[in-house]
Amino acid sequence: MFWKTSVIVFLTLVIVVSITIPIGGTFGDAAQRSMLGMGATPVTGVVLSNVDFPRHVITLRDRAQKEGEIVFPSSRDLKPGDNIVCNVTFDAGNMQYDAQKLVSVNPLFTFPLITGLDERARIMFYHVPMSWIATVAFFVSMIYGIIYLRKRNPDDDTKSAAAAGLGLLFCLLATITGSIWARFNWGSFWNWDPRETSIFILLLVYGAYFSLRSAIDTTEKRATLSAVYSILAAVTVPFFIFIMPRIMPGLHPGSEGDVNSGPIVSGQIDSWMRITYMSSFVGFLGMFIWLFQLRVRIARLGAKVAV
Amino acid sequence: MSAWIKQSLGVAAKDANSEVKTRYALNALGMFVVTTIAIMLFATAGETLSTGTLAGVLWIVIFFSAMAGLGRSFVSEEERGTAMFLRLLAPSGAIFSGKLLFNILLLLTLNVGVVAVFLLVMNVAVKTVSLFLLTVIAGSLGLASASTVVAAIIARAHAKNALYPVLAFPLLVPLVLLVVDATRMSFDGLPLFGEGGRDVILMAAYTAAVIGVSSILFDVIWKE
Repeated sequence: MFWKTSVIVFLTLVIVVSITIPIGGTFGDAAQRSMLGMGATPVTGVVLSNVDFPRHVITLRDRAQKEGEIVFPSSRDLKPGDNIVCNVTFDAGNMQYDAQKLVSVNPLFTFPLITGLDERARIMFYHVPMSWIATVAFFVSMIYGIIYLRKRNPDDDTKSAAAAGLGLLFCLLATITGSIWARFNWGSFWNWDPRETSIFILLLVYGAYFSLRSAIDTTEKRATLSAVYSILAAVTVPFFIFIMPRIMPGLHPGSEGDVNSGPIVSGQIDSWMRITYMSSFVGFLGMFIWLFQLRVRIARLGAKVAV
Repeated sequence: MSAWIKQSLGVAAKDANSEVKTRYALNALGMFVVTTIAIMLFATAGETLSTGTLAGVLWIVIFFSAMAGLGRSFVSEEERGTAMFLRLLAPSGAIFSGKLLFNILLLLTLNVGVVAVFLLVMNVAVKTVSLFLLTVIAGSLGLASASTVVAAIIARAHAKNALYPVLAFPLLVPLVLLVVDATRMSFDGLPLFGEGGRDVILMAAYTAAVIGVSSILFDVIWKE
């Protein structure tokens, strides 16, 4: 019971953190994005001094340890030592940073600004763990398939099917979150990028698993053939998730020709983001285990009633 | 060992004999190929297609004719009621290799016809013949091996004809990607010892992996 409560707590924390924690960059980010005409950029840093006259200027040391001055339109009640996040634009004419909006004062922590992703980086806490859990679920399905083939216990077939169903669910959720992210990042919901293609094929593979199950009448034959197919399908999973999207050039991070193999796999990620991501992963893993146990219990009860 | 080889050759010979005498599969597949290519001709009406499109069309024809024809090796056994006799007569390994051999022969024979008709009719020049031939052979081997194991799985299911492509296509996607890519490269004139050669080697690896996994699993699929 304790672990189920902590799963709920974890996931709630992740949701709260992913929505409320502000994203803040450096002065360099702000200058670069203003030059590109991209509007206001959040900058985060420690207030060094707050001067009200003749202009309202706040001196900030940003997360890259660079000091700069931000011009505020009106007075702000900030003390030296405060952590602030504010949206600034870089005025090349006057060579000054203009504050557009004060986003937050003394937040718990901030996420760094990832160029190209900005606020959209928040989906990463949902999209990536769900894909990992889908992979885990598909392997669990294969393992129970192998156990069924050795021991011929129908309970193992139930577990294999339950895991495959949850894998399909998480795969679908990963596809949907990825599609939403693609709409905001690359312009359209679906681009036939190699990773989008491979996750679509994976949906087809496990959809076919359930087509196969529904097409066979006898319980033993259904269990045997499903186990065989789940083994075959799980053999293709590493190819579709780990190999194919990384050897072909594409839009998704980690494809061939990209700078690194993606922020999480290559470890190049801010420590607070890594902690949040790990909590999300653990939370969704707990959710998977909980749902798995529920599904198995329901299936067992259903089998008892059906007799 | 030699008994095993004799048995699997026997299974393949039985299927080949029945095929030659009745010509069910060859007729159906032949008509399918002719119809598909005719539709492509009407659609393109003499204009030149890009090499990528042509490669895709060729493998559409080959893939769907495989889906139409290769299931017969196991489904016909179930339908005619001879499956039980086959189980009694030969060990599962021999049956698998016999059926696999038959499917490979059937697909290769079919593909000779498909490729000949396609090249004649679709106005395409193959610039790297060695790469093209190797691609067709390796692709057919991979297609036949994946189709055989899926045919064995669906032989005991309902709605076999609908279920067969549904199960086979996702498993075949890695092969399809490689094969279309390599065919396009052979139409474009890229050399064999380069990316095209790498694709052929990957196709061979795919075939080996599929045959390996299915020979382990076939025993379970086949036995009652």
